[in-house]
Amino acid sequence: MNARQRVEARAGYLMLVPSFIGVGVFLLLPVLVVLGLSLTKYNLISPPQWYGLENYAYILGWDRFRNSLLVTLLFTAMTIPASITIGLLLAVAVNRRLPGTSWLRVLYVLPWVCAPLALGVVWRWILDPTNGALNAILGRRIQWLADVDLALPSVAFVQVWSTVGYISLFFLAGLQQIPTSVYEAAKLDGAGPARTLWSITLPLLRPTMFFVTVTSIISSFQVFDSVYAMTGGGPRFTTDVIASRIYDEAFVALRLGRAGAMAVVLFVVLVAITLIQQRYFRKRITYDMS
Amino acid sequence: MSTDRAPTASRQPSATRSAGAARLFANALTYAFLLAAALLMVAPFVFSVLTSLKTPKQFNTSSPLAAPDPATVENYVSLFGERYDFVVPIAVTAQVVLVLVLGQMMTSILAAYAFAQLRFPGRDAIFWVYVSTLMIPAVVTIIPLYSMMTSLGLKNSFAGLVVPFMFGSPYAIFLLRENFRSTPSDVLDAARIDGAGVMRRLWQIMVPMNKPILATLLLITVVSQWNNFMWPLVIAPKSEWHVITVATAALQTQYNGNWTLVMAATTLALAPLVILFLIFQKQITSSLGITGVR
Repeated sequence: MNARQRVEARAGYLMLVPSFIGVGVFLLLPVLVVLGLSLTKYNLISPPQWYGLENYAYILGWDRFRNSLLVTLLFTAMTIPASITIGLLLAVAVNRRLPGTSWLRVLYVLPWVCAPLALGVVWRWILDPTNGALNAILGRRIQWLADVDLALPSVAFVQVWSTVGYISLFFLAGLQQIPTSVYEAAKLDGAGPARTLWSITLPLLRPTMFFVTVTSIISSFQVFDSVYAMTGGGPRFTTDVIASRIYDEAFVALRLGRAGAMAVVLFVVLVAITLIQQRYFRKRITYDMS
Repeated sequence: MSTDRAPTASRQPSATRSAGAARLFANALTYAFLLAAALLMVAPFVFSVLTSLKTPKQFNTSSPLAAPDPATVENYVSLFGERYDFVVPIAVTAQVVLVLVLGQMMTSILAAYAFAQLRFPGRDAIFWVYVSTLMIPAVVTIIPLYSMMTSLGLKNSFAGLVVPFMFGSPYAIFLLRENFRSTPSDVLDAARIDGAGVMRRLWQIMVPMNKPILATLLLITVVSQWNNFMWPLVIAPKSEWHVITVATAALQTQYNGNWTLVMAATTLALAPLVILFLIFQKQITSSLGITGVR
């Protein structure tokens, strides 16, 4: 190393110091701490006590935790197919570029920049059985958020409402990468619009579709704010998603060890999904248009 | 930019009439779908603002969908009054956003520049560690961060709200590094030959040349910090340190059923970002192309 290289290396390390505090102390260290905590019994008041794998053994057999896993899976199964289908339709419709429609897509993205908590509160009012807007339109008195059968679908609907616009932007970007020549060739071969969508657009959108699906699954597994605002996990735990359960155990029941174990389980699941995505992507990326 | 891909009927005279009719039908369907979707997207915002402009009496005696008659700012006045004191959460949120935006931008710019333009042993390994932390979800770090911050006595304090997040975000670093790498190096080389040090090259050349992406990043940071809820909820539950989302949630729980007041609070929580988005929507949505690559 000559003098100039040494100066450059020193500058490099110095410039990394602040962000290294952020990554090391506030991201990597917490992962180690939560792993440690998950092996203890800890209520914030007395110091953590060694508990071995008891927390893990307990939660894996615990109805409430299994219920949360199931609720999260159901929530994901309700939201993702719907938001992907509607998001794709929106993108196809916007991409037709009919006069006067370009400003509409700004509106579709609006919920995405808004606080999920505040939107959840707004929807809590809209879905209110006696004074809410939806029942006023329908002229009914439906307990959207208090009925055990309706609460999860209602919460899922709000999630779809707030994410479709954002998802459609990805599809729009994907659609715009498909060269016009492909469509012209299809037209010459006499393919109609339905056939074109099914045999050309959808296969060429596969990388986008996969990306959107995986990132939606990951965020759907972490949903918290809107559920907190609308139902708080109720009625009778029918909307008690994993993040709500972790929050309750840690900050309401003050069982940080058990909550930590649940967080570790969630983390493992999310890392697995991310790794699968990355492997698949590396294989598929060349398959993409160039 | 706006090339029409719809087939023009005049080119195929044999099927002119039916193709024209089909296209007309498809266009009508597209318009109907797009308009219905737009209406469904905007209606909740409109209804909540309208409700916030009614008196509780108006709200209780007329349909929830009726327009306020007459419109009143009574709810906003009482929100800012002594009883609810919404000045506090707005001030706290503004300060938190300011500190986090400044902190994250500064540290992320420094780190991204080091990763993109400087050469030092272990650079790529460190970068790989940074990128891998993108996988760590907030729900996982919240419990350990809470126990770390409370053991330092930072519960219900401004420091508790900002310290864990002010030292840069791996996402911002990743995004900026990609852009800094593709900045043409001949300008930087010329500056170096002229004797400009590392810091001058960064602040006087790199930063001005990457204004668009920095503006985008700034906006995304403002949006995500203004909307943040879970961390402020656990670390600062005391009302003097409430951020706007936490204050709105608390108001909703405490005055359940007083919807005109609650809708005034949600309007206050939503309006700044809605306005910001309508002004800068191009810059905000353009981040998508980059996140899409991730």
